Amino acid sequence: MKRFCILTSVIACLVVLPTSARTPQEQRGAPDISGFWELSFDSRNVPRANLLPTLTRAKLDARAKKDAYAIRWCNLLGVPFIMDPGRPLDIRQGSTAIIIVPENSSPPRYLYTNRSAHISEDIFDPSTNGDSIARWEGDTLVADTVGFHGEHGITAIPGGGFRTEKSRLVERYRLLKDGSILSVTFTWTDPTVFRTPHSYEFRYQRLPATYEPRQWLSCDPFDEDRAKFLESPPSPKPAARAVSKE
Amino acid sequence: MRLRVVLVVTFLLSFAAPTVAHGQSAKMRLEGDWVRIDPDGVGSFGGLSGVIPPAQLLPGVSAPGGRGGRGGRGAPPTSGSGGPNPEGVPYIVVAQPCTGGGPGRSNGALLVNPDSGGIHFIEHKDEVIFAGERGGVRHIYIDGRSHPNVWTPTPAGHSVGRYEGNILMVETTGFMPGMVPGGGVRTAETRLLERFELSPDGNRLTVTYTWEDPKVYQKPHVYRYYFDRAPLVESKGTKVSYALEEWCDAGDPVEKQSIIPPKQIIK
Repeated sequence: MKRFCILTSVIACLVVLPTSARTPQEQRGAPDISGFWELSFDSRNVPRANLLPTLTRAKLDARAKKDAYAIRWCNLLGVPFIMDPGRPLDIRQGSTAIIIVPENSSPPRYLYTNRSAHISEDIFDPSTNGDSIARWEGDTLVADTVGFHGEHGITAIPGGGFRTEKSRLVERYRLLKDGSILSVTFTWTDPTVFRTPHSYEFRYQRLPATYEPRQWLSCDPFDEDRAKFLESPPSPKPAARAVSKE
Repeated sequence: MRLRVVLVVTFLLSFAAPTVAHGQSAKMRLEGDWVRIDPDGVGSFGGLSGVIPPAQLLPGVSAPGGRGGRGGRGAPPTSGSGGPNPEGVPYIVVAQPCTGGGPGRSNGALLVNPDSGGIHFIEHKDEVIFAGERGGVRHIYIDGRSHPNVWTPTPAGHSVGRYEGNILMVETTGFMPGMVPGGGVRTAETRLLERFELSPDGNRLTVTYTWEDPKVYQKPHVYRYYFDRAPLVESKGTKVSYALEEWCDAGDPVEKQSIIPPKQIIK
C-alpha cells in the first residue's frame, strides 16, 4: 500500500508538471495557427453581399473614390484589405494575443486572447484594424472586431459593401488538412450597409516554415509618376518618359 | 503517517504546478506593450542621444550626415546641433511632416533603436515579432535557423535569436548602410547584437546594443535603451493595454506640412 501511494504520487507529479509548463492555449488543447500563409487564385469563396437599397451607385462610387485616395496617399490600409494583401501573412500565436503581420507598411492586427471584452468606446479611437478579441471554441478561433474607423484606409469589403464605424466582423479560423490549410470565414454585420450578414471564406495555404517575409515595397505618395499612373486613365500608348528611361 | 505526508505533498504540488508553469514561462514575459523611457532625466530626445557614448570609428571612416537614432519621420528636430542654444537664440521645433508608407523609422533600420512610439512583442516558439506603432515590424527567428547565405540588405536586416534564461539574445546582419546612434555607422557586413533583458519584476526592459564591424569600429559600439511596460488604462472596470494605431495622411494639406513654427518672442 505504501509503495502504491508513493508510486501514485510520483506519477501524479510527472503528469501534472509537464502539462503545467505548457502555455494556457496548449493546456486547453487549442491548435497553433502560427505560420506563413498565402492565398492562391482559388482560395476565395466570396458571394455577392446583400446590400441595403439605400446604398445607391453614387454612394458606392463615392466610397470607392475614398479607397482610391487611401492607395494614392499611401495611407494605412486596414481590415479587410490586409487579410488579402497580395503577399503572405505571418501569423504568430503568443500568450496574450495572436498577431497577423502583412508584408506591407500597414500595421499588424492583434487578436487579443487575454481579455474577453472590447476596449470601451469612451477611450478607443476607431482605427483601420479595429479592436479584436478572440477565444477558442474547440478547434476554432473566433475573433470579434469592432471599433473600425469609417473613413480611414481601404474600406471595401469583398463581395460588396464597405466598413463603417458601425461594422462588426466575426472571423472563424480553423486548420484543415492536417494544418496545411487555414480556413477563415469572415462575417460582416452593419445596419447601415448590409441587409443580411455577409459571409465569405478564404482558405490560406501554409508556406514552408523556412519562408521569410520580404521587405515590403515602399510607397511614396510624392512620386509624381506613381500618382499619374494611379489617377489617370490607362493610355494605349506607352508614356514617353517611361520609354526614355528604358 | 509518512503516507499521509506524501499524499499531502502530492496534493499541494498539483496546485503549485501552475505557479511553476508561470515561472517556467517567465522567459516569455517579453510579450506585451512597451514604451521607451528616459531614466536619466535628460528630458529630450536630443538629450537621450547625448548620453550614448560616442562610437569609436576607425580612421577614414566617417558617419553620414544627420543623427542616428532618429528617423525621417521620428521625433521633431530642433534648431541647432542638439546642445543648448546660446542665450537669446530661440528654439524652433518643427514636426516632421507625414510622408506616407515609407520603409519605417528609427534611423532607417526598422525598429532598431525605437523612438517614442509604443512597441509590441509577440512571442512564439519559432519567431518573436517586434512591432512598432510608428511603423515597422521585425521578424526575429528563434527556430534555430542561420542567416541566409544570399541576402539583399534591408533596413531591418536579418535577425536570429535565442533565449538565455529570461534574456533574448538577437543577432542581426544584412543592414542597408546607414547611421547608428552615437555617431556610428552600419553596413551590410555590420553585426548587431541585441540583448533584451527584463528586470526581476518584469516591468522594465533594457536593450543593450552592441555594434561590431572590424572595418568600421575600433571597438564594439555599446549603448542601452530602456523601456517600461505601457501604462494600463481602465476599460470597463479592467486595466488593459493595447496597440494604438498612428494615423498619418500625406494627402492631408495640414498633416503633410511641418508645424508652422510659432512666433518667437525674444526678450
